[in-house]
Amino acid sequence: MHIPDGFLTPQVFIPAFVITILFWAICLKKVKLTDKQVPIMGLLTALFFAAMMMNYPIIGGTTAHLLGGAAIGLILGPFAGGISVTIILVLQAFLFGDGGLTALGANVLNMGIIGVVVPCILFLALNKAFKGTGKKLYAIIFVSAFLGDVLAAIAAGTELGLSQPVFQYGLSVAVPAMAINHSIIGVAEGIVTMVLIGTLLKLRPDVLEQSPILKRLPVFQNKKEANE
Amino acid sequence: MTTNQKTQKTIIIGLAVALIFVIVGTFVLSYSMETLDKQAEQLGAEEHPVYEPPFPDYVIPGIDSVWGALAIGVAGTFLLFGVGLAVAKLMHLKKGQKS
Repeated sequence: MHIPDGFLTPQVFIPAFVITILFWAICLKKVKLTDKQVPIMGLLTALFFAAMMMNYPIIGGTTAHLLGGAAIGLILGPFAGGISVTIILVLQAFLFGDGGLTALGANVLNMGIIGVVVPCILFLALNKAFKGTGKKLYAIIFVSAFLGDVLAAIAAGTELGLSQPVFQYGLSVAVPAMAINHSIIGVAEGIVTMVLIGTLLKLRPDVLEQSPILKRLPVFQNKKEANE
Repeated sequence: MTTNQKTQKTIIIGLAVALIFVIVGTFVLSYSMETLDKQAEQLGAEEHPVYEPPFPDYVIPGIDSVWGALAIGVAGTFLLFGVGLAVAKLMHLKKGQKS
């Protein structure tokens, strides 16, 4: 989903940079990391850089890769998560030309902001409404990650569709194409996020307990109340 | 097992999984034709890079082989781990947070 140089017009990529810079400023001000989360941020940054190297065949001869934003955001929180995904995107652009420099703001907006923040917001809302325990927890994680990917793709399609005359298809073609194709990788994103968080829940609940998002799970809330 | 030992184990397992991703991404799932690339191809839209990266498309210049791509992927994974860890430590120190 990395947009290269030349695909977006200044009318699109400049506002995207402005939004991204504001987000970075908020992230740096609000971010909170505990001792246990510091090495996990390094690990997740590397893990999802590597995961992005795998291109899955989807439909119509196209491919897509995982974004990682949902897992990173849920485990580290939206602010540290946003910074982690931004590190991946910046190094990919500068070292490998994966994503253009003029499109860096848009790529961070899609994958580092929408792909991270949307799953966090959805998770909080769904966990509050349905109490994330047992199978419901995994359904909530899946839906949050899936919709995070689809909305990130819709944002990318919107930016491309608005970039006339480069993308003459316009919004009516660019947005549905991105949303439909990326809904398939959204399913993979949901499954990977469920597996990763499920594994950590069994092996390292102490790490998840410190997540500003996952600490609201009933399992951690009940433990906190029992300790008080 | 102490927390530090648990963390070391988590990092080692996590990096091993990342390296498996790199191997699979290099040898099996390497072909990339994203939806936006396909649309651009159909429209005749072309990339106009404003910068020449040192390792374009994850290839070491002069070593256009799958092993070069694998080396880039492995080095990139460790680099990202180092940068992610360093940034996390800086943010942690700046805020003076404790667990």
